[in-house]
Amino acid sequence: MFKLEFLKLRKKTRSWLGPILVFWLIMLAYPLTVEFLQDKLEIGFFSVLWIALLISMMLATEDIFSEDYNDGSLEQTLIKNPTFSIIIVTKIFTYWLLIGLPISILSFVFSLGTTENLSLSLSILPLAIISSYIFLNLFVLGNALSLNKGSVLGALVTMPLALPVLIVLGKGLIAIQLDINYQSFIFLLLGSLSIIIVAIPIVVSYVIKAHLE
Amino acid sequence: MIKKFIHQFASPKTYLYQVSRFYKYIFYFSLVIYILSIIWGLFFTPEDFVQGNSYRIIYLHVPASFLSQTLYLAMAISSITYLIWRVKLAAYLIIAIAPIGAMTTFIALISGSIWGIPTWGTWWQWDARITSTLILFIMYLGLISLHNSFSNHEKADKLLSWLVIVGAVNIPIIKKSVDWWSTLHQSASITLTDKPSIDPVMLYPLMGSIIGFFGLVICLVLLSSKYQILHREKNKSWVKDYV
Repeated sequence: MFKLEFLKLRKKTRSWLGPILVFWLIMLAYPLTVEFLQDKLEIGFFSVLWIALLISMMLATEDIFSEDYNDGSLEQTLIKNPTFSIIIVTKIFTYWLLIGLPISILSFVFSLGTTENLSLSLSILPLAIISSYIFLNLFVLGNALSLNKGSVLGALVTMPLALPVLIVLGKGLIAIQLDINYQSFIFLLLGSLSIIIVAIPIVVSYVIKAHLE
Repeated sequence: MIKKFIHQFASPKTYLYQVSRFYKYIFYFSLVIYILSIIWGLFFTPEDFVQGNSYRIIYLHVPASFLSQTLYLAMAISSITYLIWRVKLAAYLIIAIAPIGAMTTFIALISGSIWGIPTWGTWWQWDARITSTLILFIMYLGLISLHNSFSNHEKADKLLSWLVIVGAVNIPIIKKSVDWWSTLHQSASITLTDKPSIDPVMLYPLMGSIIGFFGLVICLVLLSSKYQILHREKNKSWVKDYV
C-alpha cells in the first residue's frame, strides 16, 4: 500500500517538488526584503520559517484527493477497502516523507545558515518535523472537506486549527532562545500529533464517504 | 430507547410548533432580566477601585464571551447527535447557531478591545485568550462558508458536522488559555468549583446579565432555526399548513 502511494506521488513531480521549491523561494526571498538589516536577519527569521512551512504544507495537500476523486479511483478504493482510514494514514505519511521531511531538513539548513548556531538549529529540527506532520494532517482534512470546491475553501476552514500550533512553535522558539526547558513544547506537539494522527484519518475517511454517497 | 426519544421529540414539526408556543415568553423574560441587570450594573453598583467605571463593560463582554464558547459546544453536541442518530433537526440547529455564534464572538472581541484601551493601554494584544477567541471567530466564518459552498444540503450538513467536531478542540484551549499561558487577560472570576473572586455587589447583576443575554441569544437561535426549518422543509405539506 505504502509502495503504491509512494510511486504514485513520486511520479507526480510537480506535486512533491512544487511545495519544496515554494518553501525554498520564500526562505530565499526573506533576506532580500531586509537588505539593510543583514546582521539582524535572525529577528524575523523564525516567523518566516514557520509561515513558509505552513504554506508549503498547504500547497502539498492541494491535490491529494482531487485526481483520484475525478478519475473514480477514490470511490473504487473506498468500496474495496473496509479500512479506508489506513489508506489515508499511508497517503499522509507518504506526503510527509516526500515533502514534509525534506522541508524540515531544509528548515534546519536555513536556520543554520542564518543564525550560525548549530544547537539552536538542531533544536528547531524536531519542532519542524512534528509540526509539518500536524499541518499536513490538518490540510488533508481541509482538502477532504472541500474535495470538489477548490483548496482555498479547505485552507480557510482548517487554517484556524493550525494557528494554535503556530503559537506553540513561537513559544517553543522563545524557550530555546532563553535556554529554558523547550522539550515540554516538543512533548506538547507530540501529544497533539498522537491524537491527530489517529483522529484525522478516521474523520477524513468519513468525510470522503459523505462526498461519495 | 434514546433513538426513539430523540426522533419523537426532535421532529422539525414538533420543534417548530413548540418554539412558536414558548418563544415570546423566553424573549420577554430574558429582555426584562437583561435590562434590569444592565440598569443595576451601570447605575447601582460602585466604581471599581482599580479600573474605575470601565469595568462596567463586563455586563456585555462576559455574557458574549461565555455564549461564544457555549454556542460552539451546542453545535458540537448537535453535530454528534446528527452523525449518530441522523436527526435532521440537529443539522438545522448547527447551521442556525453558526452565524449567531460568530456574532457573539465578534461582540466579545470588540467589547474586549474597548475595555482593553483604558485597562491595558492597548486595544489588542496577541495573547493566548484573545488570539484563541479570534481563531474561534474565524472558525465560525469558515463553517458558514463551508456550508454555503454546497448546494446539496445533506452533504453540507455531514461535512459541517465533522468540521464542528474537529474544531471543538479549540474550546478547551480558549477556556484554559489563561491558566496554561501567562496572559494579559485575567483568569476566570467565576468558576464552578471556587468561590467567585468578584464582589457580590458586582456579581449579582453580572449573573443576571449572563442569564438575560443567554435567553436573548437562545431566542435568536430559535428564530434562526425556525427559518432553517421552513427553508429546508418548504416542500412538506405541514409547512404549507403552518405558513
